[in-house]
Amino acid sequence: MTPRKSSAAAALLTTFLLAPASPAAGQSVTAQQATAAQTVTLDQKGREPEEREKKKVGREDPPATFRFTWKEHPTLEIGKRTHVDFRARVQSDARSSDALAADADSPSSDIARRRVGIGGDIEHLVEFQVERELKDEEPWRDVYANYHQFDAVQVQGGKFKLPFSLDQNTSATNLDFVYRSLAANHLAPGRDRGVMAHGRVFRRLLRYEIGIFDHDGRNGRTRNAARVFGGRTTAGRLTVQPFRAVKSNAADLQIGAAFTTSDVPLGFSSLRGQTFLHASFFEPDFWVQGQRVRTGFELRWRPGPFSVKSEYMRVTTERRGQSVEDTDLSPLVATGWYVSGTWAVTGERKADGLSQPRRPLFQGGYGAVELACRYDSLTFGSTASGDLPSRSVRADVIEGNAEHAVTFGVNWYLNRWVKLQFNAIKESLKDPSQLALPSESGIWTRVFRFQLTI
Amino acid sequence: MRHRRVTAIGPILVCLLTCASAGAHAQTTADLFDRNTVHEIRLYVNSRELQQLRNHYLEDTYYTADFQWRSIRVRNVAIRSRGGASRNPSKPALRVDFNRFTTGQTFLGMTAVVLDNVWQDGTFVAESTAMAFFERMGQAAPRESFCRLFINNVYHGVYAIVESVNGDFVKRVLGESGGYLFSYQYHDPFYGEYLGDELAPYQRLFEAQTHELEAATILYSPIRDLFREVNHPDDAVWRDRVEQYVDLPRFITHAAIDVFLAENDGILGASGMNNFYLYRPAGSTRHRLFPWDKDNAFVNPQFDLLTRADENVLFRRAMAYADLRALYWQVLEECARSAAEDGWLEAEINRASALVDTAVRQDSRKPFSNDEFEQGVALLQQFARRRSNFVLQEIDKLRRTP
Repeated sequence: MTPRKSSAAAALLTTFLLAPASPAAGQSVTAQQATAAQTVTLDQKGREPEEREKKKVGREDPPATFRFTWKEHPTLEIGKRTHVDFRARVQSDARSSDALAADADSPSSDIARRRVGIGGDIEHLVEFQVERELKDEEPWRDVYANYHQFDAVQVQGGKFKLPFSLDQNTSATNLDFVYRSLAANHLAPGRDRGVMAHGRVFRRLLRYEIGIFDHDGRNGRTRNAARVFGGRTTAGRLTVQPFRAVKSNAADLQIGAAFTTSDVPLGFSSLRGQTFLHASFFEPDFWVQGQRVRTGFELRWRPGPFSVKSEYMRVTTERRGQSVEDTDLSPLVATGWYVSGTWAVTGERKADGLSQPRRPLFQGGYGAVELACRYDSLTFGSTASGDLPSRSVRADVIEGNAEHAVTFGVNWYLNRWVKLQFNAIKESLKDPSQLALPSESGIWTRVFRFQLTI
Repeated sequence: MRHRRVTAIGPILVCLLTCASAGAHAQTTADLFDRNTVHEIRLYVNSRELQQLRNHYLEDTYYTADFQWRSIRVRNVAIRSRGGASRNPSKPALRVDFNRFTTGQTFLGMTAVVLDNVWQDGTFVAESTAMAFFERMGQAAPRESFCRLFINNVYHGVYAIVESVNGDFVKRVLGESGGYLFSYQYHDPFYGEYLGDELAPYQRLFEAQTHELEAATILYSPIRDLFREVNHPDDAVWRDRVEQYVDLPRFITHAAIDVFLAENDGILGASGMNNFYLYRPAGSTRHRLFPWDKDNAFVNPQFDLLTRADENVLFRRAMAYADLRALYWQVLEECARSAAEDGWLEAEINRASALVDTAVRQDSRKPFSNDEFEQGVALLQQFARRRSNFVLQEIDKLRRTP
């Protein structure tokens, strides 16, 4: 980091560390003061926005006012039913590892990410979100709108994460660990373009999501254009909170199941195995063709300051007509699971989120501190057994590989904007010789993350 | 009655147990290279990959196949097109690697075999007979037998199953491992000249078959030094210095057998050196040769005993020494006597050609007609009948020459 950059970052950090916990309501801007905005938003029939709203909603609303506030985010409120949030996240990692990272020249490196976006709600009918990474080959993240007039049936369209995996669908801001689980990173689909119906029914005991997407997500792809991935994908997820109605610690317990199906064209699969630092330990150089099915099961429970999360995922990809005799080979299979637990040492309720500590730093406390631990497993192979495992592109029993990892973490939420995370990760490979950057079977990696979110 | 039944069941049981034990008899490489059988080998290759292999037969790309011989099916073997002028898409010459895709996998203890398409040998038996003769003369040579090759159940003709010259071969014939083995790659006529101090020209000519990942300096410095010394101008020190890098008596023996067999594409070949492997034991700088690909042997029973003797630097300078020259004539004489002993060479040609006769006639992919096959065999028989006498007469003449 150059001196100029570091002094700018220090100033920014100081600002957010010393900022009051509940910023004063922002300055309001009246409609009269914003005449320019009003005059340019006349519709095709020449009606002003206010008239349009009356016509559309069919009732008298107070005059539209533009009001700038800063509660969760800097927000522009337009009347009482519409708002636009301005969001940004700055994140910087310092890490060192026993093994070289695939995306770094040395085992120690600094990685910075910056993301900006807007989100909001229009007339309490349509939520929207547009997020963009400032430096990335694929900068656009979530770009979607969600029609949510009815809680039981909502429709969302655009680019967003497929409804599969609790961990994958947790915002990066709210992760308990620096990195998502191996399974969520490599087996869950991630984002794609599509449309999804979702909602909560039976007094919010049950939540469903089902959608159709262009492909099976960004996580299952590589930059290698020769690799194949899923085409049109159907995805669904069902989560239940069976004890939601009961006033006890069990009320938060949530279990769920999810699936995706898609067809994969003929080629080498792109579903690969990588360590947390993206060093490849399994390259799927095997012909595939046919249906890809993901199945997942999840559990989350957050009693008081504790939380337990666990997921199991399995991805099978068919290999129709790929044997040496043009018959079907056993499907390629990848399985992953993890169990994680957290404890808010400072006593915050996990279900409420630790991002708003009860006693922020410099405001009578030192923020919220959380300890975390996770065990990860990710395995690649084929469903057949019996023969010698082979690297042949047409082997029925393939030479797979597996990784197991333990992560120990400490999270320090200084206030609602600043979060520091430290993770120590021990990764163990079944066959380290397959690692693109060969190393010992046990790899220790230490990561420190600074995260500023507005 | 009951006693009679028991006595009847006894022999049946004995027969069944005998048959079962025969069936369970472990197959060995000796069975595979049994020269009295036309074996049947089946390869199963994905139809798309087989088409790719045919389309790109000039490339050394490996494809997956299952390999079956008798009841043994080896899965996920690697096959690729091989050879020089014998490469073709219709009846592909193939190298089969058993352990390329599957670590530790072998077939009868071997890691590879060659399926020679016998594309340039109209007799089908010249190559295998020549190799058998090398073996008869006490020289290490790859074993060969015949097979009908079926690819995806389609008959692809008669092939020679050839023992791959690799680490397994060296271990079998010399009982040692860890040495450096190189296959000679023909590019341009090479007669043993010094190609300079750089290692690259030698690396181009000699492809490492073992220790492939070792530094070029370790692999190729002794080969460069060999040819530097071979071309050393000082005759007084030539032999001492060259013998540090090559076993001269073995080299002369190899050349003599090649010449007896009227091999036109061997180490004294029509276009320079060809068809041999170079081997150097671990911890040594001294090389020796192993023969390879003798489908251009038996060209003429009156093939001159000093054909192109002046072209090859190593041979020419070695023959300047009386003891090596004497060895050369001695080996030729032994070859002539051995080939003629009980009519061995002619009998071998007759036996082998009769063995493959039906399979060859059914081979619609061969580049020869059945008439050409018959004529080729007849020429071989003629060679066998006349070669020994010719060689002995020539040696006698040369010995009488002052």
